[in-house]
Amino acid sequence: MLYASQLQGQQVWDAWGRPVGRCADVLVGNIDQQFPPLRALALRDGEDAERFIPAGCISSLYPSITLSVTQDKRKPYTPKGDEMWLFDRVLDRQIVDTEGRRVVRVNDLQMARVGEQFCLTGVDVGSTGLLRRLGLEQIGQAVARRLHRSWESHVIPWEDVAPLQHEDPLRLRVSHERITRLPPADIAAILNDLDRPTGEALLHSFSDEDLADALEESPAEVQVAMLSSLTPERAADVLEEMDPDEAADLLADLPEKTSAQLLDLMEEADAAEVRALLAYPEDSAGGIMTTEFAHAPIGLHAGELLAYLRHSEDAREDEVMYYVYLIDDAHRLCGVISLRDLVMAPPDADLSPWVELDPVKVNSYTAQQDVAYTMAKYDLLAVPVVESETGALLGIVTVDDAIDTVLPTAWKKRLPRFF
Amino acid sequence: MLKRILKLPSWLQRLGFYLTILGPGLITASADNDAPGIATYSMAGSTYGYRFLWLVVVITLGEVIVQEMAARMGAVTGKGTADLIRERFGVRVTAFAMLCLLIANLGTTIAQFAGVAAGTELLGVSRYVTVPLAAVLVAYLVLRGSYEHVEKVLLVLCLAALSYVFTAFAVRPQWGEVLRNAVTPTFTADPAYIMAVLATIGTTITPWGIVYMQASVADKRVNLADYRYTRLDVMFGATWGNVVSAFIIITTATTLYAHGIRVESAEEAALALAPLVGAGARYLFTAGLLGASLLAASVLPLSTAYAVCEAFGWERGLDHKGRDARIFYGLYVGMIVLSVAVVLLPGIPLFPLMWLSQSLNAILLPVLLVLVLKLVNNRRVMGTWVNSRVQNVLAWGLTGLIVLVTLTLLVSPLFGVQAPL
Repeated sequence: MLYASQLQGQQVWDAWGRPVGRCADVLVGNIDQQFPPLRALALRDGEDAERFIPAGCISSLYPSITLSVTQDKRKPYTPKGDEMWLFDRVLDRQIVDTEGRRVVRVNDLQMARVGEQFCLTGVDVGSTGLLRRLGLEQIGQAVARRLHRSWESHVIPWEDVAPLQHEDPLRLRVSHERITRLPPADIAAILNDLDRPTGEALLHSFSDEDLADALEESPAEVQVAMLSSLTPERAADVLEEMDPDEAADLLADLPEKTSAQLLDLMEEADAAEVRALLAYPEDSAGGIMTTEFAHAPIGLHAGELLAYLRHSEDAREDEVMYYVYLIDDAHRLCGVISLRDLVMAPPDADLSPWVELDPVKVNSYTAQQDVAYTMAKYDLLAVPVVESETGALLGIVTVDDAIDTVLPTAWKKRLPRFF
Repeated sequence: MLKRILKLPSWLQRLGFYLTILGPGLITASADNDAPGIATYSMAGSTYGYRFLWLVVVITLGEVIVQEMAARMGAVTGKGTADLIRERFGVRVTAFAMLCLLIANLGTTIAQFAGVAAGTELLGVSRYVTVPLAAVLVAYLVLRGSYEHVEKVLLVLCLAALSYVFTAFAVRPQWGEVLRNAVTPTFTADPAYIMAVLATIGTTITPWGIVYMQASVADKRVNLADYRYTRLDVMFGATWGNVVSAFIIITTATTLYAHGIRVESAEEAALALAPLVGAGARYLFTAGLLGASLLAASVLPLSTAYAVCEAFGWERGLDHKGRDARIFYGLYVGMIVLSVAVVLLPGIPLFPLMWLSQSLNAILLPVLLVLVLKLVNNRRVMGTWVNSRVQNVLAWGLTGLIVLVTLTLLVSPLFGVQAPL
């Protein structure tokens, strides 16, 4: 196997065995491909003076770098600007492993001859890479053999990584495509692990929807920091895409003036929902309930109810729809039917046998801990939240939000502030 | 950043904004006066009188320069020190720098637990009880994530260091003499003196202080347009911390040196506070020592493990389970266990242990300083925020000074001067 670190600082020889200079960097192109091909080697003469040797003139890279031509016959190469400089921009940098869904550090780069070309094939993020760079590979292997263990080499194929440099819009585009495919929770964790400028550059490349999803999965401080790196208009757009309960939580963490300004910039309907939620204390059911859920008038047959839901705006917004809540004209909660029962019931059947007429409910000021307890006790996937005096249905708390109150996502635990 | 959203800047908002930025500087400054810090200054003041005051002035300038560079790197790059070193200098240099950081921080962690031992033994409780207890407490609090609740209490205990300022005024030192010593450099090529000089430098300008400062500024996402507030905080903090240090020297010089008492144990060090609080001195002293030690012992091993893992790309942070971040937790627990073991070695002298670890800090500091200086002058890293000529002259001067002092220490035995201890 050929590794980029083995080229670093190596003497380059021409076809007659005369020294040409030392290899200062390796340039590859087409980085969105599976095996980006070598384009050129850079040789450094002084501080800023660079010469380039095009890939076509190179006959071998290892054990020594030799050219197929003599020094004076060498073709010139001018960087086109889309090359990736391996030593300068990739080696030792952070990179996103899209298979393992985490941020890793590049210990070495694996290269291979694919057909006629030298190509970049993978990223070494394991300890063997580190040992090789330290010049301790042999010793490390010997020690490992003594202990009857082996150093695992950990090479990630190039197509499974996303290189990230904020100074580099081109790279960012490729990476962005690879990263947006990940689940939002993983994206949030990655954004949290990246350094600030890179994280922000990535953030700006996301669509409003993707950004909203990632924000919902982030801890409060990260949310605030991410949002404040956006323009107010963009921030408002992203808030519109978030679940109203999550958006309300986030706005509650911002200074009052800022949140007021953002609410003004949001669309009227979205802003109104969020404003209503903001009125509840932070640790009450109102603080984590969502106002987007499926509901229907009571008294419909199964088929009618399903048809009603298909045309209901609120049902469309409901992310999970474990249950359908049945209400009367005054918007009071009268009953609940699980989606399962509704689907399994014959289309023209009266639903009464399946409808729970006195459903378990909480009110908007119930403590979140108690909400979680109630859901655990009655094995509910969602619990309705009602106005305590009128009995009007305000929203629902889903099981994922309830779990978050008792078991905060592990990675959301932050490193204690140093001092 | 927030300012872009906040449209109307009033003086009240400015103040609020300043308060959110305020922090790292003031906090590292208080950390100057942790257990090894108090031990070092007490030792210096009681052994050499006011003669170390000029050094404190030099160190203040040095700390302002160094901490400001670290803060600026954090603000500009948004990355940690270890991260930048790795990206710019590759694996070998990083491995060497991290080894130095690990040794220096291990020494300081040992000193913190020595502080716990010294403080509690002053109250008559054996270190074999309190030190393991402190270690378990620290590890439990940090790993449980409930450290933040305790932090405030410990910070309040740290305020005990302020009692040196009051004591200094109470004991009426000869202020003329104090001022004269603050501006007149004196130096002896005596190894013990050189070790003391190094300890005084090493307890104030620390490798971990640099790493911490950069990390916390990067973490706070300071906007460059508002960097001047951070700079103000850093400069104010560094100066303030050293003012307190100077008062420790003044107090111990006036109360102990004048009576021929050389501090070799907590017992004697606590005496310095007696003129202010009489018999309560040992309680006050223990409170200060314990608060600072526990605070630093909670943070140091953690930030060290974090920096090392950051440099090598290993899983890090308390959000990972033990199985996923073995090296991170291994380093963390390893440092604590090793520190406790050293402090519990029978017959090990606690006070010399505390301040000698700080000499080691100073000897290792130039490694990090040189790397930081190369980074902070690199236009590709810092853009237009590279060092000014004055900053470079001062920072390189400080680095040179430390190297020179270290070399003097190494060659002094050749001239027939006895080695310390």
